[in-house]
Amino acid sequence: MKSSHALILVFLLLLLTWAGQVALGFFQVGRMEPILDEETNYPKPPAASGLAQTGARVFASEGCLECHSLSARGPTGSADLTRGWGPRRSVPRDYLFREPALIGLSRMGSDLSNIGLRVPETKDLMLHLYNPRQRNPKSNCPPHPWLFDTRLAGTGIENEALPLPSRDWQQLLPTYKAKALVAYLQSLRTDYSLPEAPLK
Amino acid sequence: MNIPSSSKTNLSVGILLVGSVSWALLGAGLQVLATLQLLVPSLAYLVPIPWIGYGHIAPLVSFLFTYGWIASGFLGVLLILIPRISGILSPSGRLLTGAAIVWQFAVLVGMAEILWSGSTGLISLPFSRSVTALFLLSYLILGSALSRGLGGSWKSGPLLPRLYLLGALLALPLGLGTAEVLLRGGLAPGALQIIMQFVWHSFLYHLWLTPLALVFLFQLLPALTGRPAGSLSLGLLSWIATIGFGGWVGNSLASEGPMPSWLQSAGVIATLLLGVAVLGNTLLLKPLLDGKWEECRRQVSLRFFAVGFWSYFASYAWLAFLALPGVRQTTTFTMVGQATQALLIFSFYGNVLAGAVYSLLPASRSIGWPSHPALTLHFWFTTLGAALIALAYALAGIFQGLALNDPGVPMSTISSYLRPFLVVALAGQLFWWLGQLAFSSIFFASLLKLFPSVAPVAIFPPDREATKQSLTPAHP
Repeated sequence: MKSSHALILVFLLLLLTWAGQVALGFFQVGRMEPILDEETNYPKPPAASGLAQTGARVFASEGCLECHSLSARGPTGSADLTRGWGPRRSVPRDYLFREPALIGLSRMGSDLSNIGLRVPETKDLMLHLYNPRQRNPKSNCPPHPWLFDTRLAGTGIENEALPLPSRDWQQLLPTYKAKALVAYLQSLRTDYSLPEAPLK
Repeated sequence: MNIPSSSKTNLSVGILLVGSVSWALLGAGLQVLATLQLLVPSLAYLVPIPWIGYGHIAPLVSFLFTYGWIASGFLGVLLILIPRISGILSPSGRLLTGAAIVWQFAVLVGMAEILWSGSTGLISLPFSRSVTALFLLSYLILGSALSRGLGGSWKSGPLLPRLYLLGALLALPLGLGTAEVLLRGGLAPGALQIIMQFVWHSFLYHLWLTPLALVFLFQLLPALTGRPAGSLSLGLLSWIATIGFGGWVGNSLASEGPMPSWLQSAGVIATLLLGVAVLGNTLLLKPLLDGKWEECRRQVSLRFFAVGFWSYFASYAWLAFLALPGVRQTTTFTMVGQATQALLIFSFYGNVLAGAVYSLLPASRSIGWPSHPALTLHFWFTTLGAALIALAYALAGIFQGLALNDPGVPMSTISSYLRPFLVVALAGQLFWWLGQLAFSSIFFASLLKLFPSVAPVAIFPPDREATKQSLTPAHP
């Protein structure tokens, strides 16, 4: 075999691999558009806010993906929907406005593709971030106290302060990162119907 | 013919191998810490420091093992091997030294980034684009030097190692470059980003590191055993299948979700067909080791290559098993991913790298290895450790998958199911770390020439003319 023939063959094989997935993938999912809700005129999936997009990066940088997935499967072959992790399976269009689009690799913790639906309250999510065992004593999730500032309460407790017993007139306030992360978690919900994944 | 001067590459080889050994030790220590945190979640409550939390350490360990230990080590031993196959090397030793330093610097910066700022969350791309640029810059120089080593004429010498090297040399820049541009250049919207992450993951492991490991197996096993590899046609077929299907394997990791179903089916088919390619390579390489048990006992490098070769078969048989539809649905998002990583990184790549270092480094540096018991310690500890890690994670993953598919089992119960397996994995990681510690002490002591003994096996003698003579064609 001549080296030039081998080079051309390798190049073609790699090109086929790359184009087969990326180029065809682009034509199938890369050109997807949101569906317009006929009643509300809002796009489905809804576009994430700037704060939520920042939160996606905080979510990744804190390593949440090491234990949580972002993809509900089912109804056949998986118990995700029965576990209450989502009203329907996740489909490519759900990831349209996600930047970066993440899926996760492990489920040491629960799937979070609908955490915004399951735990909608900001305070609950903040408390979980600060100390997961506050809400669930058996939780294996590590605490993230560095996402909160401790400040003197002043004349009153601020609205954003965590409802936890404090010492010496201190209050726990979420940092910008914590707010962004919570905004991102709240944006994770697929309670809208899509032609390829209708709500039942 | 321009026979390479080993002194030109000596420094770059030294930098790459010292880096490789150091990153492996550090990664192994951090891996123990990460598993401890999974095993005892309360540790995170006792010491709530972000940069040593599981979310930072787990991606860092994977990064250090892949880019620091294996990639750096493979590049180092390739710089010894390839010039000796072809007799050609880049004229500038300083350039290679600079490239080796840049690679280590990239690993260092990547490590610092993951520790302080966390991972990017992208699969197999946990670092920033500046680190990618450093890796690509270094690889451009090292890869160019290695591609010169492919030689103009392919009429003499074994063909398969050159073909695998050619595939690997092209795969990394194509995969990493396009992943970087598409994922962080804003050109891949939505779910296409997830597809691109799986493509890059496949390129990294199955089109870059696996072919590089096969370069050593196909070049050094025939030389060590004195037997040529069998049918060239079967070898070529397996090579085409490896390069053709390797890039699709990652898609079989996903089950449903954001991936188009045809892509997942293509991933499953590619993984199964890749299994056939691996079977072809196994049929070629197995006869080289038949009846060589006594030699494996005597030659430490052959022993590592033998385990590496069987781990190659086991890794891809395991991947093919995981790709089967019923199995895939159960094991997606479980610890079988860690089992696959352990099989590939510790058992396959790690053993091939160790075999290559033991057989090639003496030729490059004119050094000797110490007595056999010290080397045996390295072999048994790392082999036992890798086996324990892979087995524990595989069983844990299967139990985890079955439990996740039973909605009656709460998540906290699943975590408690996993504890015994994590204990075994932790024991395996400690064994592996001890084995690596033994190797590091042997390696550094040898570099400092504390051992006057001759190497147990030196495929290429330091003498230049003898180097040329030792290159016998492996294929008829």
